[in-house]
Amino acid sequence: MKKIQYYISALLLVAVAAMSLTSCGEDKLGPTIFPDVDETLDPNSYSYKLDKFLKENYLDKYNLTFLYKMPDISTNMNYNLVPADYNNSIDLAVLCKHLWFDVYDKVAGEQFLKTYGPRIILLIGSPAINPTSGSETVGLAEGGIKISLFKVNSMNINNFQQMNDLYFHTMHHEFAHILHQTKTYPNEFNTISVGHYDPNNWQYRGDEVNSLGFVTGYASSEYREDFAETIACFIVYTQAQWDRMMELASRGWATSASDDDLDAVYYSYYYYPDNDAEQELVYLEERYVVTETDDDGTVHKYWRNNRDKDGNRIVVYDVEDKDGIDGAAAILQKVQIAREWFRTAWNIDLDALREEVQTRQATYDINELRKMVYDIQ
Amino acid sequence: MKKFLNISLLSLVALAACSLASCSNEVEDIFDEDAVARLDKAKAEYTDILTSDGGKWQLEYFANDEEPGYIYLMTFSKDGSVVISGANKWINYIQSGSLNTPAYGSELSMWEVIADNGPVLSFNTYNKYFHIFADPYDIPSMGSAQTDTDVNEDGYGHEGDYEFDIMKYSGDTLYLTGKKYNLNMIMTRVASTVEDEVYMNEVVAMADSFFNSKIPQVYINLPNGQRWIVKEGASSILKMFREGDDEISTAEHHNVIITHNGLSFMDAQTLDGYVIKNFIRQADGSLLCRDDNQTTITADELGAIFTNKTFIWRSEPGSGSGIFATLYTQIAEELKAYNKSTLNYAQIAYDEATSTYLLSFNIKKGSVRYNPTYYLTLTSADDTQVAFTAAAEGDRYGETYASNCPSIRQFVDELAGTLNLSANSLLAPVNMKLTQSGNADNYVIFNLQ
Repeated sequence: MKKIQYYISALLLVAVAAMSLTSCGEDKLGPTIFPDVDETLDPNSYSYKLDKFLKENYLDKYNLTFLYKMPDISTNMNYNLVPADYNNSIDLAVLCKHLWFDVYDKVAGEQFLKTYGPRIILLIGSPAINPTSGSETVGLAEGGIKISLFKVNSMNINNFQQMNDLYFHTMHHEFAHILHQTKTYPNEFNTISVGHYDPNNWQYRGDEVNSLGFVTGYASSEYREDFAETIACFIVYTQAQWDRMMELASRGWATSASDDDLDAVYYSYYYYPDNDAEQELVYLEERYVVTETDDDGTVHKYWRNNRDKDGNRIVVYDVEDKDGIDGAAAILQKVQIAREWFRTAWNIDLDALREEVQTRQATYDINELRKMVYDIQ
Repeated sequence: MKKFLNISLLSLVALAACSLASCSNEVEDIFDEDAVARLDKAKAEYTDILTSDGGKWQLEYFANDEEPGYIYLMTFSKDGSVVISGANKWINYIQSGSLNTPAYGSELSMWEVIADNGPVLSFNTYNKYFHIFADPYDIPSMGSAQTDTDVNEDGYGHEGDYEFDIMKYSGDTLYLTGKKYNLNMIMTRVASTVEDEVYMNEVVAMADSFFNSKIPQVYINLPNGQRWIVKEGASSILKMFREGDDEISTAEHHNVIITHNGLSFMDAQTLDGYVIKNFIRQADGSLLCRDDNQTTITADELGAIFTNKTFIWRSEPGSGSGIFATLYTQIAEELKAYNKSTLNYAQIAYDEATSTYLLSFNIKKGSVRYNPTYYLTLTSADDTQVAFTAAAEGDRYGETYASNCPSIRQFVDELAGTLNLSANSLLAPVNMKLTQSGNADNYVIFNLQ
């Protein structure tokens, strides 16, 4: 009897428990809490042509949202940022396609950016200025998903150097981050300039960073930026820019100020007042130096438009390279690692990529590119 | 066993209660629709509100609490574009690099009501005349003590918002709060027929009619008779302190915005228990508080201003009526006949040495200027009148010109009497009309230098 009562009680408990578990099973879920985004474009919209271009060339093709209308809430609220100018957004949208997406499509195949490309490109009108350090962020890659391009309102479509520095360079720099965040690069790269990175004061460094083996000052901030900068500069620098950088990398540098002085100016030339080696040498910036070459190939360097007390031109000397680093060799070594990494990790010919970008950079006609938007019906 | 049964039954009851409770609806729905649907609906409603009836609105914009507010006219279109027009010194800075005077500017950009925690009005493409207050660049120095910004604002800029939480809509007014810096602002509907440039120029003219740097102070007159002194009004950052209190230790600065019909403080001010915020310009140029309909802002009485011993008043030839117009004409003819000279202006200024007001005539002959001068003694001055008596003789040049140009002496004598004072604005009476008390047709206008 005790057992029967026990079983009855136990059965009742199980039955009620089962009811309690199943009684809610027929509740219906409410509608989604997420907005039902209507991707239909309104032909009457002021921005219809650009929106259609972005949908067809980025969203439909790469599943990439190209944001030019900046909701402040989608950015880092610690910075004061403004939206991008509409017309500049059109220019950047077509240039991104021409100088970035179309390039990778051609060199790496269409599937490459569909797989590894960012999912969001965000245009921001201003730089992200850090009020404490004074540094400006002109590009940002976040988690392999989102790339932000800043200073869109400052862009001058007719200033190739500025366009290259602010946008084309940034595009490839940030994409390099996305790629190495997906497949890491060889540790060997990090050992080349070890001990010469300066994450806190890199922004005060000038051309002397080339001599230390870095392509830019920002590259000297840390390993990963060095890697991204090396790739970006190799791709977008014109041959003249690259050669100039390598020349600077081969120079010796000195400063008349203390090495601790953040505002110290570095010089690669010096002279003696009145050509008198007994006097204390004076450092000289390159812009004041004139170089002449004799018929036999002998190179002479003088202080431009200055003569000593006897009327002789003042001879200028190269500063001895005492940093113990072969800057040019270091840069080339880094490029070679990047080249191999592109080949082995991504099956991409970095040199072919560079050549394609160089060709397009040198020949694009912005008015023709704009037609991709303006001619949309 | 009983004990076991009791425990079992209690457990059953408890479980049954739980099972019943678990099926009850969470809470009685407060809203008919879910949050997303309500937000979508709000976005659509506010989009309709903004674009209906021509879609023209006036935004009373404040970038921060240390700068004046500025009016912007915004015309919202259903295609997502908005034309933003303004007239302020920052627009002038964009156009010419100068911050000295306001300039008008208008540009098209884009807008949208987006969803965040609620509906948000976002100006989401750059408009150089509006987003300048959000640009993170250093603010150029403006030279005056209150507005000079020698500090480096790189990274901050003006810290103005361009996204606004829409808090409510009432009586054709949208109540907004800046999304990042939380300043409250209002947008009011404007007739679609309003022409932006005309409207904005009227706002600039309104500002000029309120405060003029030549009038050193005005007064907030509270209903209890207490006055608060207001200085630096021309900067739209009012320096305010209670009359009778120490200026240095008690004065505070409060920013205001000049609107199309008056003036508003960014934040309501409580003075001696009276809360004031919005003022409407009255026909006489004074300001009346819209909040209590009693508090006013006025300057000193006209008599006190005209006889202020530090002021210099000048009248250009022709700026008069009746006898004064006639005399200006005759003076010109007599000067030409006498020595081919011309009259630049007549001037009234107090002279400490003689304790009289000097009425002088600036006369140009070739490159030489002569200032025949006559002496006026102030006999009375009240709210709207002054009375002068003129000395029989002027200085040496005064006597010479009086004998050769008798209309000059007659001008002096016509001014020597009781004069009714009036001005377009009681707050900035820099253009004073002096009318003979016995003949309203006879008046002359003097301008404060």
